[in-house]
Formats: sequence, structure tokens, C-alpha cells
Amino acid sequence: MLFNTAHFFVFLAIVLALFYASPRALRKYILLVASYYFYGSWNYRFIPLLLTLTVIDYTAGRWLERVPPGPRRKTVLILSLCANLGFLGFFKFYNFLGSNLAWVLDKPDHAFFLNIVLPLGISFHTFQSMSYVVDVYRGEQQAVRNPIDYALFICFFPQLVAGPIVRARNFFQDLWHWQPPSAEDVSRGVLLIALGLTKKMAFADQFAKVANDYFKNVSGNPGWLTAWSGVVAFGMQIYFDFSGYTDMAIGIAKLLGFHFPVNFRRPYLASSITDFWHRWHISLSTWLRDYLYISLGGNRHGRWMTYRNLMLTMLLGGLWHGASWNFVIWGGYHGALLSVERVFRGNRPVRENWNWLYPLKALATFALVMIGWVFFRAADLPQSLQVLRQMFRGHGHLLLANWHLELIGIALALAVVEEKLDGFDRLLKAPMLAYASALALMFFCIEVFGVIDASIPFVYFQF
Amino acid sequence: MAIAPSPPLQTTPVRQRRRIAFTLLAALLLLFGLDALLFRTHFYTSILEPDSSAGLLELVLWREKMAQQKAGDNLVVTLGNSRMGFMPRIVDQLPRQTGYAIRTAGVAGSDPRTWYYLLRDLDPTANRYRAIVFGVDDYDDEDQAFHPDDDIRALHYCIARLRLSDTLQFARSFHSRDVQWEAFRGALLKGIALQSDLQAFLSHPLKRLDYIRLCHRSWPDWTYDYVESPRNMVGLQIDWSTLKASFPPEMTAEQKDTVHGWLLHEAWPQDGRLARFFGAWLGRIVDRYRASRTKIIFVRLPRGPLVRPDYLVKKRSHTIRDLASRPNVVLANEHLFDVLEHPEFFKDAMHMNRDGVERFSIMLSDEVARILGPPGAPAAR
Repeated sequence: MLFNTAHFFVFLAIVLALFYASPRALRKYILLVASYYFYGSWNYRFIPLLLTLTVIDYTAGRWLERVPPGPRRKTVLILSLCANLGFLGFFKFYNFLGSNLAWVLDKPDHAFFLNIVLPLGISFHTFQSMSYVVDVYRGEQQAVRNPIDYALFICFFPQLVAGPIVRARNFFQDLWHWQPPSAEDVSRGVLLIALGLTKKMAFADQFAKVANDYFKNVSGNPGWLTAWSGVVAFGMQIYFDFSGYTDMAIGIAKLLGFHFPVNFRRPYLASSITDFWHRWHISLSTWLRDYLYISLGGNRHGRWMTYRNLMLTMLLGGLWHGASWNFVIWGGYHGALLSVERVFRGNRPVRENWNWLYPLKALATFALVMIGWVFFRAADLPQSLQVLRQMFRGHGHLLLANWHLELIGIALALAVVEEKLDGFDRLLKAPMLAYASALALMFFCIEVFGVIDASIPFVYFQF
Repeated sequence: MAIAPSPPLQTTPVRQRRRIAFTLLAALLLLFGLDALLFRTHFYTSILEPDSSAGLLELVLWREKMAQQKAGDNLVVTLGNSRMGFMPRIVDQLPRQTGYAIRTAGVAGSDPRTWYYLLRDLDPTANRYRAIVFGVDDYDDEDQAFHPDDDIRALHYCIARLRLSDTLQFARSFHSRDVQWEAFRGALLKGIALQSDLQAFLSHPLKRLDYIRLCHRSWPDWTYDYVESPRNMVGLQIDWSTLKASFPPEMTAEQKDTVHGWLLHEAWPQDGRLARFFGAWLGRIVDRYRASRTKIIFVRLPRGPLVRPDYLVKKRSHTIRDLASRPNVVLANEHLFDVLEHPEFFKDAMHMNRDGVERFSIMLSDEVARILGPPGAPAAR
């Protein structure tokens, strides 16, 4: 059940109607049943797995609260983390490790291969679950007593399959002190859903067609212009696709009275790689910062340890996306870029200066991010290297049509307006006609640019 | 929802819900307004890609509207798909004139559904022509592998002609649910059906405008002066018992494909879909001209370079023959063009070549004159 299908909107309308028509005490049960139905509509066979992880971490949380600080408490934490990482590792990394082991032992590629189907959203809900257990261990979060509440935290359908990764304290704050959404929440929610749908259907899916054509036949598309346009098309696809999904998730949650964190803040306007990671998949980058980078020591133990921690964090962040050397290299590439920036910047915070140098910095950052996307999108390492070679030799031709470039131009102009003038917030406070006009323009954009018949799945659903 | 004590139940206030509903309604109205402003006015219709289905139909409509202004009272128009090989130039060049100006508004790939919407705007009073001549494959109904009732190309041909009030009728005229839905949404929000046209326009707007200007200067002459291909199908032999063909060596793959697709097949299962489709759309056209001076003439086009034997043809109904009982409807002698059903008059298995088109045009012109009688005289049946 993709967010951009009529099936999903019928489901959402039923959930909203039942939610608001029911007595308050019943509402979380409605959300729970709806969430399991949503998950089951993808593959009901993974519901027991989701339930198992829920039971393990719920029990671990209760246990951690009762066990006094000491080795036993640590053991409980480690057991819980092992269970989560064990499931994640088995489903996501078993075949990757198996093929590498086969290579080391000089055995056939598929010697240890198992036909494993990756459970949808496992990377997201295990990270969310682990953060809860760690927070309880650190004393930053009270253990949840009601298993229904905890189950809902793990499987809440707006963010179950592709985030944003929600922190337990924020979710339970909303759940336990639930307030009906304000008029502004509803306006924002509706606008975000429309915006997300527009980003996905009118932008991401159009760029996906170009990127897919290019990456399907890299050798047949030589030349730097072809390669860059194919890669930029993917860069646009992944941004509009993932941020569109997140916008819809945040919007849907708002309609239900929940508040999810912002996950994207116009990342392609970043003036450095550090700035980029402050704007891209923010819920993951802050998770990695809080639970990995800081746990590794952060920047507290000198320069070299800081660089090491940055590299390790980004390598693991890359590996979180998928089990392949491409993701490891993508993570390592970003880790290296962050470290190099750190060398020059030291411990000074990132400043966002919109001076005459800004366009050059933003362009350079954009180019570096695009080079990184090659590893993210290419089928394997040899194809990544082939694309990279093509990006710097030959001529080729532009794969993007003029109207694609016009779409990029419109998106860039809107991003700058949002960055400098808070256009979105202004729109929420504007008269009804202006708000309705903005909605109508988004719908019109879907009408004339939306990919309507081809079902192109959200990129992050594979993670 | 809270387990702990919580504030009393609050719901979204009624006024707030109403405001949201009004806002969404306003957004939808604005969307329809925007769509209508762009795609239901002359604005976008005038910049359609001339080589697209919609653009081609608009050019035909524009050319024939202009011809209506110049032609006198004895105007006849022919309609059909690519098999309707009538060429006005050939008839106009004849030393002996019938007194009728015969034009063609045929569009390759079109069907009676498209003809209906085209005629509605070409002849809004249903009284401009002395006759409208429809070239059809047969007077009996034979379902083929391809079903025109589910041909979504009709949406793309008719898109600029469809009115909001046509939406339901047009969508329901398709057979399968998926195509009905595609037709419905395209007819309702035309931007969906015109997506690729608009995107191409945005890519090269000036080039498009130049091409449109060129078409408006020259397209009527291009089509009027068009000369059909001289290639033929001489040497084609078919063993109907085994459905195998032998081709002369110079025959192209394209020609062979049409033989396989059009001639070499067993009889298709007959479920009456074509009869229903013809009944609905040709019936609608005939109804429109019921009280008109315009004669509706059907002609059976030459069937092909070789004619499929009767045992390979199953015909259970005859919609067009039934229509002949209506006032103003005339069926030309169905064997009139049998003399053209020879390999030397066809360029492939479906379409007549230069010789075929020339003979067909002259014969058709004579037949129309015979049916209508001398200009001013009462028409024959």
C-alpha cells in the first residue's frame, strides 16, 4: 500500500473517520489495528517478527527499570541490542557476509546464500526500538508500562516503513497527553500531504524514469554530460522521493494529533557536507550522532579520535542503508569528506553565510553529494566505477529534457523562498484563498507532471 | 488515549472541520478552473503538437471548417480511418465534375466514437453537408482481435473536443474498467491526457510555435497534394487452408506484417462487442442527422488485395445494414469496390496504393453523385 495510491487514501480516510468517531480510550487500539493492517498489506508473514521485536524491547525496557545499575543492567541492554541487531543482521546482512565469506574461502558466490526476503522497514523500526532501550538504560526515558502503547510506538503506520525515526519521549508525550490537532496542525498536515504527493508523483517519479534508463544501460550512455545528467536525475529522484514520503508521513501524523520531527531541510542548498548532513535525513543523522558518534566519544578525545569517530559513524550509517560494498563506500566517502571539512574548520560550528561565495560552495557541495550518489544508486562496485569514469570523460548528451530542467529551476526557486522567507509558514497564516490556491497548484502539478500509471516504489522502502 | 488521567475528550470543532472542507473544496474548484482555463479554452488547443493524435484531429477540423467557408451548398465530407483512401485532388482534377465538392475529414486510427465528436464540432447545426460518407470495413459485424471499444486512442484524438458534460458518457463507452477509469480522469482533467504534449511544449516552446505556424500555412496543401505510394502486393499468394502466405522477394517486412495481422488468422470468437460499439456510436451519429437534409452514406471499402474466404469469417449481426432502415441513411452497393480487391491496387494488406486510391476516389465520387442525384434534385436511395 504505497502512500501515493488511491488504496492508501481510502485506508487513511477510514482510519481518520474511525479514530475521531471513537471514544478516546479506543483510539490507540484503532491505530494499532490499522498499523498492523497497513504492515500486513505488504507482507503479513512479517507481523510475527514485528511482534517479537516489540515484546523483546518492551520486556527489556521494563527489566532495565527494575535492575539496579551494574553489570546485570548492562547485560540486559546488550541482550536487547543483540536481539535487534541479530534480526537486522540476519535479514539484511546475512547474504552480504555469506558472499564475502565465500570469496575469502574461495568458494562459489552462492555457497552460503539463503533466499531471504527483507522485512519492510526493518532498519527503521529496529533503530527506533533500540533508541528506546538505550534511552531507558541511560535513564532518559521511563519504561513504558502498557504493551499496547509500546507496540503502537513501533508500528505506527505513518512512519513504520521509511521513518522518520521518532524518539520514544516525543512519541509518548504525544500519545499520553494527546490533544486534538489544532487548526494550524490540520492545515499544515493537509498541505504537507499534498506537498509530499507532489514531490513524489510530479518530481521524483519523473526523474526516476531518466535515472532508471541511465543506470539500466550505463555502457550504452557514454560521455560526461550523459553521466552527470543521469546522476543528477537520481539525486533529484532520491530527494523528492524520500522527502515527499516524509512530508506525507509528518502530515498524516499531524492529522492524528502526533508530531514527527522534520527530516529534510532543503539539503541541496547546503554549503558544506557538514551542512548537508544537518539537512538530509535529519532523524537518522541525529540518531547516529546521539547513539553512535557520541557513544564512540564524539569529539571529546582529540582530533584523530574525532576523525575516526566520524568515519566509523558514517561507515555504519552507510551500511545501515544496505548490505553492499557500495553503501559502505558511500558512507566512507561522506565520512572522509566530513573529516576533511573538520580538519579545516576545527571545532568551530558550521555557519550559514549567504555571501558571494555561497553559490560556489553550494555548487561544490552539490557536486560532491552527486558523486556520492553514484555508489548509492549503481548496481555494484564495477558499475559505480564505470559511471565515475564516464562523469569525467567524453561528451555525451543531456538526458534531461528542458522541462526537467524547468522543474529543477522551480524547485530551486521555491527552496530559496522557503529558506529565506519561511514561505510554508506564511502560507499557513495566509487567507483561505491563498492556501487553497497553493493546494490547487500542487494538484495541478500532479495533473500535468505526475507519473500516474507506473507504480514506482519509494526508494527508501528497500531499506 | 491516555492510560494516565487525561483531559476530557476533545474533538476537532465543527467550525474547524467545515473550514477544512471548504478549503479543500475551494482547492478542487480552483484546480478544475485552472484546468478549464488552459485546456478547455482555445488557448492550449491552438498550440497542440500538430503531429499528435489530438493535434492532427484539430488540424483536420480547422482545415474542413475553412473549406466550409469557401465551398458552396453542395458539400460532401468523407470520414474514416487510414483505410478510407479518398483523395479530393483526384476528383477535383477530373474533366467531368459531378457538381458536388467532396472533402475528406478522415483520420488514421480513428473510429466511430471519434467521428461523432469530430462531427459535432465540424457540423454543429447538423445541416452543413449534403452527405457524410463513412468508409467501413463491412456492413456486417465481425469482432476482431483488436476491439475498438477499448481503444484509448479515442481519448487522445477527441481530447480537445470533449466537453465536461461528455465525461461520463465518454468514459462509460469503453469496455474494461481500467480503460474506463483512464478515459474518465482524462476527460475530467484534460491535463492528465495532455501531459506528454505539454511537457514537449515546455521543452521547446518556440520550435512548437514555429511548426504550428508552418502547418497553418502549408498543411492543407500538403494533405491535398499528397500522393500515395505506388508499391503493390502483386505476387502475394495465400493458401487459405493452411493460412500460409508466399511473398514475392521485394515485399518488405512491414507489408508482410500487415498480411499476417489482417488476413492470416482463424475467425475470432464473436461476442458482439463490435455490434454494440457500432450501434452506440454510429447510431448516435445517425440520430443527430435524423431531421437533417444531410444524407448518411455508408460505403464498404475494398477489403484487401486478397479476400478472406467466407468460411474464415463469422458474422452474427449487421448493425450498419440495420441502420439503413433509418431516414436519411443509405448503404452504397457493397460490391461496388470489389473490382479493387486485387494485389495491384494495394500497398499492403490493408491500404490501397496510388492506383487503388485514384480509382476508388473516382468511383466513390460517382456513387455519391448517383445517390444524391444532380445537385438540387431529390436524392436517390
